[in-house]
Amino acid sequence: MTDVWFVVAGWGVIMGGLALYAGLLLRRLGAAREASLRIRRDAEALPPPAPPAT
Amino acid sequence: MKTRILGAAALAAVVVAGANALFVVPADVNQGDAQRIMYVHVPAAWLAYLSFGVTALAGVGYLWRRDLRLDAVAVSGAEIGVMFTAFAIWGGMMWGRPVWGVFWQWEDPRLTTTALLLALYVGYLLFRRLTDDPHRRAARAAVVGLVAAVDIPIVHFSVEWWRGLHQGPTIGSPDRVLNPAAPGQFVIALVSMVAAFTLAWAWLMIRRYQLARIEWQIEEHGRLGRISAARHAARTAAARAASGEGAT
Repeated sequence: MTDVWFVVAGWGVIMGGLALYAGLLLRRLGAAREASLRIRRDAEALPPPAPPAT
Repeated sequence: MKTRILGAAALAAVVVAGANALFVVPADVNQGDAQRIMYVHVPAAWLAYLSFGVTALAGVGYLWRRDLRLDAVAVSGAEIGVMFTAFAIWGGMMWGRPVWGVFWQWEDPRLTTTALLLALYVGYLLFRRLTDDPHRRAARAAVVGLVAAVDIPIVHFSVEWWRGLHQGPTIGSPDRVLNPAAPGQFVIALVSMVAAFTLAWAWLMIRRYQLARIEWQIEEHGRLGRISAARHAARTAAARAASGEGAT
């Protein structure tokens, strides 16, 4: 393997890894925002809690 | 919106500084093209230190203020720091093979303490999964993060304290800042890559922090839901028992 291939491997993994992590982070953030919205919508749709029995 | 602008600026900076480091700056006379790996290896190592430093400081802040937002900062720093430490190790290995003749050497203090740093913070992230209680988790993680941070100065100064394969600082020590042991063009390329990577790091930290906050809210909602369901079940059981007693 010539030096150039070590440069390609070094840069490729680091830049590719950075892009992959950024992409996955945005996907995780999107999914979490959606789940949070769903929870909020479900909570708003629920009837108010019944008063405690005396 | 501001975070989007930061993300776009970081992307543009990484592309421009990366193109300069790969295609404009000449190859090193002694190391050849392998030296170009330094332009990603050094920023990755710097950001690993910065991330774990932020984790330690946020941990101290949490122990002082008991604010879960600081725990969200701490976990963001740890996760991103683990990624940059892995990148620094990978870049170092790819540079080490053509220049030193080996990918790795366990006898080298810088390499071994960096591997230990990676293991410590992977352990930190796993340790956080041991408890569901957010305050207990944050307090324990803060202590672990502080203990693990002891390795950061050891990694940095290992090249001065002990002898090994890894060379001493080229621009990173106080006496080298104004008198770097590398040509100006190389130093400018390296500093611009460090700046570009630091912008990308800032964007990643903000996004990871936002994710940690939302995950905490979802977790809290689930916890409250479980408590509410348990209370409801207990009330129903008590009502049934009371009606059963009344019937007999």
